[in-house]
Amino acid sequence: MESIWPISKIRETLPQRYPFLFIDKVIEIDQAAGRVVCLKNLTQNEHFFVGHFPDNPIMPGVIMIEVMAQASIIGFAALKPEVAAKKPTYFLGKVEVKFSKPVRPGDQLFLEVQKEKMIATAGIVSASAKVDGQVVAQARITFGVKVYE
Amino acid sequence: MADKKNTDKLKKEIRELVAKISEVPEPQLKDSALFVEDLGMDSMMALEVVASIEKKYKIVVPEEAIPTLRSLKDVYSLLEKLPLK
Repeated sequence: MESIWPISKIRETLPQRYPFLFIDKVIEIDQAAGRVVCLKNLTQNEHFFVGHFPDNPIMPGVIMIEVMAQASIIGFAALKPEVAAKKPTYFLGKVEVKFSKPVRPGDQLFLEVQKEKMIATAGIVSASAKVDGQVVAQARITFGVKVYE
Repeated sequence: MADKKNTDKLKKEIRELVAKISEVPEPQLKDSALFVEDLGMDSMMALEVVASIEKKYKIVVPEEAIPTLRSLKDVYSLLEKLPLK
């Protein structure tokens, strides 16, 4: 599955870096519907699997929230490119989340972000993470966006 | 929005919504209280109020109107201007 954004653009958009840059591909952007789909591939080498847990590697829920939040930043940048171009700081404000299945090494995590409301300084999105077409986590994420000029 | 009964009902609903998001008890919510200065709300909470109002009343609040919503009174007057479904 091709990424519609080159890795360089993902790196330009997301301020996070190793070991905290969690978006591998941008699969779909639907401007009119306010929707984006991103992909995170999970390998055995993810740093968090080392301790969570040594004999039973499971992706930590907090990291799943972070992955959905990073997909939300991609969503914001796709829908508000003029703001994203100014390299704003993104603040996670509020998260309501539900986890339904464990995520393990080898899984491909498809992250679907749907805009609920977005303005230049903040956004509210519904996000879901799916593995093999099954929902493993759902969240409603509120975030702030601040440009320091 | 034609009669007073509907206006009072709408105001009550908005107050409940703002009380829930700001976590300020409803009896303490004055119509003139400023969201940021008096209620400690931030831009994300303000957006939550707007998103909830949009969902509840099936309206779209224009982005440029959001910074003008500084108190409950401002929200009431905006809703009087927008056609509710």
